[in-house]
Amino acid sequence: MEKSGPVQKAVVLQPFVKLVRLVARAFYDDYTTKSDHQQKSARSDNRGIAAVVLDALARRQWVREEDLAKDLQLHAKQLRKIIRLFEEEKLIMRDHRKETAKGAKMYSAAVAATTDGRAEDKVKLHTHSYCCLDYAQICDVVRFRLHRMKKRLKDELEDKNTVQEYGCPNCQRKYNALDALRLISMEDDSFHCENCNGELVVECNKLTSEEVVDGDDNARRRRREKLKNMLQKLEVQMKPLTDQLNRVKDLPIPEFGSFLAWEARAAMAARANGDLNPNDPLRSQSGYGSTPMPFLGETKVEVNLGDGNEDVKSKGGDSSLKVLPPWMIKEGMNLTEEQRGEMRQEAKVDGGSRGAAKLSEDKKSASGNGDEKDLKDEYLKAYYLELLKQQELAARRNQQESAGESASDIQLGTTSSGRQVSMKAKREEEDEDEDEEDVEWEEKAPVAANGNYKVDLNVEAEASGGEEEEEEDDIDWEEG
Amino acid sequence: MFFHIVLERNMQLHPRFFGRNLRENLVSKLMKDVEGTCSGRHGFVVAITGIESIGKGLIRDGTGFVTFPVKYQCVVFRPFKGEILEAVVTLVNKMGFFAEAGPVQIFVSKHLIPDDMEFQAGDMPNYTTSDGSVKIQKECEVRLKIIGTRVDATEIFCVGTIKDDFLGVINDPAAA
Repeated sequence: MEKSGPVQKAVVLQPFVKLVRLVARAFYDDYTTKSDHQQKSARSDNRGIAAVVLDALARRQWVREEDLAKDLQLHAKQLRKIIRLFEEEKLIMRDHRKETAKGAKMYSAAVAATTDGRAEDKVKLHTHSYCCLDYAQICDVVRFRLHRMKKRLKDELEDKNTVQEYGCPNCQRKYNALDALRLISMEDDSFHCENCNGELVVECNKLTSEEVVDGDDNARRRRREKLKNMLQKLEVQMKPLTDQLNRVKDLPIPEFGSFLAWEARAAMAARANGDLNPNDPLRSQSGYGSTPMPFLGETKVEVNLGDGNEDVKSKGGDSSLKVLPPWMIKEGMNLTEEQRGEMRQEAKVDGGSRGAAKLSEDKKSASGNGDEKDLKDEYLKAYYLELLKQQELAARRNQQESAGESASDIQLGTTSSGRQVSMKAKREEEDEDEDEEDVEWEEKAPVAANGNYKVDLNVEAEASGGEEEEEEDDIDWEEG
Repeated sequence: MFFHIVLERNMQLHPRFFGRNLRENLVSKLMKDVEGTCSGRHGFVVAITGIESIGKGLIRDGTGFVTFPVKYQCVVFRPFKGEILEAVVTLVNKMGFFAEAGPVQIFVSKHLIPDDMEFQAGDMPNYTTSDGSVKIQKECEVRLKIIGTRVDATEIFCVGTIKDDFLGVINDPAAA
């Protein structure tokens, strides 16, 4: 439920979650919040904590950091440190908001909408921070990171003449040799920072610079050997990650939007589901003090929902189970059967003539608007009830007729509701047939009876078109 | 690398040049304007070798200037990555040295100078091998390879290396 919130359409999260988990294990496995000079004991060793946090984030959308800390049983400070690391590494989006009690409640409402469980209403007048994985950026960041790693090793392996880089020790600005003309100063013969005029130092980024390169062939060969080894190891160890990146490349990227938009959308989805949430942000609009235009996010949602799936929403808001058109289905997406459009043919039990009639009715209603379907079902139910009644009535009348056969036609005309005349008349004929020639009827009956029924019902259905209004009115009245 | 290409330019000519020598005036003005300039797209315009065509002049409203579209052939110089050039050293410092190949400025950083050459500060800063047989200083000629170019709209700057076979000093007028 958490993974595919009701607000998402046709976006598969799973490959991206896997990517995040791989990234966590590849790059942040040995991250520790302790600084290096602190004594590390086995007890305080919290390596792998970053991976845990990333995994937890992959299971959520936007989450309040305190809640996350509570869920992970981490100290808030500790968590914030890790979160800040991820923010710097561009893996997550963050949003800070000064919240009143109601604002916090609104978030709880949004959480209640995306997750089944209710978040407890903790009310505090503080700045709350929210964070969420930024999948689009993660893909780019990881790809870039891998590219840089490979490039650096390759450049050094091939002893390629790389453009020398310079850095300013004061303001951390980076330059390279192509900027040399601008950096050279007239006073002395060294490079100076454009920003702070500090003297630039050569950035030495040789991985194997600790070895003295004295032109000795042996040392050079050993160095090359070592580099080649490193590159090979890199290729092998990063294989799962690159594979996953390739898999994810062509898939639509899950987008949660900014925090406010997400919150509004989640609340919207909750309302569409019919949960009358007392903490609904749109109900507590006055509490939305921190944002001047609370409707911004909401209008966006209207656009999203407006593309023809209102009827689906009205049936329970399960838009995540929409049938995907075949051109949207790609390799690597895992969809339910329903989403692929299979099992769409509802198996209708054909219960004789009545079933056939129902099927034809269904077809008609399927071609019409989905909204009418419910009404038509209702109508059909009512109609069959009435039909049954009429049949019973007719049967009783037939019994009476066997006593006095002459007055049947007149009776029919007066008692039946007019639209059923033809049917009744035919029934009368049948009954008469039955009375007069028993043997012949037995042979003819299956065909004749079926045909009659079908025709009658179809006529009925068409003729009833005018009466639908009435029926609808009735139903409305009942519901109201 | 040098190219001989045809370029086009709209020349504005002052009315005082109108007369018998209009064409000569136009061409001399074109040479003055264009030769020695640098465009990121084509490189440095070294020389105009001929005029292809001069279109119909158009009198500008209000000023009396006339605009002629002129097509001309010219030699351009455009440095490329991987290209080998011969250049004259103009400046030596502890970060490396600067050299010029015609209009192009090239910087060779210290780590792209062979490892056995050491920087010698002093009156005439230079890079010298341990046995003193090779010396890179101002005014000497080097053969270098371009490993990176920075092309702006009106400027081209290159980074080069002499850390490869057959690169380095080719002629030193000071030593001769």
